[in-house]
Amino acid sequence: MEAARQIGVELTVASEQASTFAGANPAGLLTLDFKNPERAADDVHVFARTQPIQGVVGVDDDTAIVAAAIAERLKLKGNPMHAAEAARDKHRQRQLLADANVPIPRFALHLLSEDAAELATTIRYPCVLKPLRLSASRGVIRADNPQGFIKAHSRLKAILAQPEAAACGEPAWHYLVEEFIPGYEVALEGLVVNRRLHVLAIFDKPDPLDGPFFEETIYLTPSRVPAPLQAAIRDCADRAVRAVGIVEGPVHAELRYNERGPWLIELAARPIGGRCSAVLRFGAGGLGLGAGVTLEEIIVRHSLGMPIPSLQRERLAAGVMMIPIPGAGALQEVRGVTEAKGVPLIEDVQITAHPGERLVPFPEGSRYPGFIFARGETPAVVEAALRDAHRRLEFVLS
Amino acid sequence: MAAADIRITAEPIDNQRCKFVVSVPVLEGGVRRFSSADEARGAPLAEAIFGIPGLAVSELIVSGNLVTVVKQSPAPWQAVGKAVGAAIRTTLASDVPPVAPAPSPESGNPAAGNDDALYEQVAKVFDQQVNPMVARHGGHVELIDVQDAVVMLRMGGGCQGCGMADVTLRQGIEGMLAQLVPAVRGIVDITDHATGANPYFQAAKK
Repeated sequence: MEAARQIGVELTVASEQASTFAGANPAGLLTLDFKNPERAADDVHVFARTQPIQGVVGVDDDTAIVAAAIAERLKLKGNPMHAAEAARDKHRQRQLLADANVPIPRFALHLLSEDAAELATTIRYPCVLKPLRLSASRGVIRADNPQGFIKAHSRLKAILAQPEAAACGEPAWHYLVEEFIPGYEVALEGLVVNRRLHVLAIFDKPDPLDGPFFEETIYLTPSRVPAPLQAAIRDCADRAVRAVGIVEGPVHAELRYNERGPWLIELAARPIGGRCSAVLRFGAGGLGLGAGVTLEEIIVRHSLGMPIPSLQRERLAAGVMMIPIPGAGALQEVRGVTEAKGVPLIEDVQITAHPGERLVPFPEGSRYPGFIFARGETPAVVEAALRDAHRRLEFVLS
Repeated sequence: MAAADIRITAEPIDNQRCKFVVSVPVLEGGVRRFSSADEARGAPLAEAIFGIPGLAVSELIVSGNLVTVVKQSPAPWQAVGKAVGAAIRTTLASDVPPVAPAPSPESGNPAAGNDDALYEQVAKVFDQQVNPMVARHGGHVELIDVQDAVVMLRMGGGCQGCGMADVTLRQGIEGMLAQLVPAVRGIVDITDHATGANPYFQAAKK
């Protein structure tokens, strides 16, 4: 919303649940059935007869598909539905990537109803169990042996039986079993413009993600990965984007690399999630003095075909820490926020969990209680600042 | 009170606006808004913040333990917020009241009478339209003041900390006021959303 306001774009916000102001501002607020993208596109088509729409942007995995349906229906810039759906469906995505010889872990689709004990004897270890639809690594569990597989299967089954997970229907009956790829993980943020991937940033993830659960912590950019390997990572992501059929808009990819080269782990047709995008600034912020252009502004401009001032990230190193979930319980208070904000290079500490909110650790949960942002001359000093700030926080749970 | 005992948390709203939540009251029982260095004269806190070099402050709103600063400088809050925090801390640590209460209309501010009339109109819209709407999601919106045709409000209940609060504010309340009270020049949300205990929608998870 802020990005649209900054560049003077009139906005219609669509949501699944009706805003209480929908009747008062019918041009600015629209209620759509996100679970039925075709119907949502029909509704927007009708809406656009009186309120012309010139661009559409999804903000997460589900709305990326709705946005694709609307773009197809209204002939706006966007991805074809099949590509957006493949980006969300982890199994379909892997099939396309495998067909295109993009390096990915070996994978197999299974029904939750299959006998886990029997299946456990047929699998190569270590492996990773993955739900098809959940995001932010929720429900993703590594198993190192048959006993671990059976336990992981039981936990995943319980997660997928929860109402909000089960609501997606058939995809919640299945899961993937993937080969565990050892190695160093990076995230890649990109913008696809007319089928061409522009890499906006590669983030290092300095904390090992070896499981058994895959809670993210620190993202740092620019990457310290050697340049030739970065080139291989970009090439791998580019091939994945083409294989899945993404032709326009933001992409977020997770990759690993080891002695065998880069591996594509996940690809999404959306930008980096939630608050993390605040870590990215482009163009005028090059000296670290100006505000720069935000990722959201770039995405809005791209969707409308407006000129984009710059796709070049600022000169300074930047990082964000997704604050690890400190345990299970209701959040009473967070101490040390002021002290954390006072750490040199720390730009902000945002606590997004509210008092009384139940914090649920991985793999059942995935909602980080907050975010820490830092900017500095090098990734090393930014990382140190993030860790220092995090050490000063104390979460009081009941 | 010693400056070191005062805790301040900066909550940027966007690159122009930032709320500073102060651990002690800055102005009890009202709201003051300053839109220029001239208006800031006589209010030590406002003078100090308008006087920060290079910040180009265009607006300052003080209410309870919140100080909302609007700047024109492109510098990110992360770079300049500490100067604002220092100004707040230093002023509060002195013996002089940081901000005097709002002058009465008789004291010579010609805009105040217009603001009173606007206040009545906005209050009516809030009572009759805005609050019945947000109440459906367990929320409420409190009209704090109108100064120089700028409405200051505070969100509570389901609206406080809600992931859709900005949508409600910009696509809902702002649009409604533009239609029904067109003399309103802007809206400032002085809610401390971080302390919302029962938001209607969760914020994004990652």
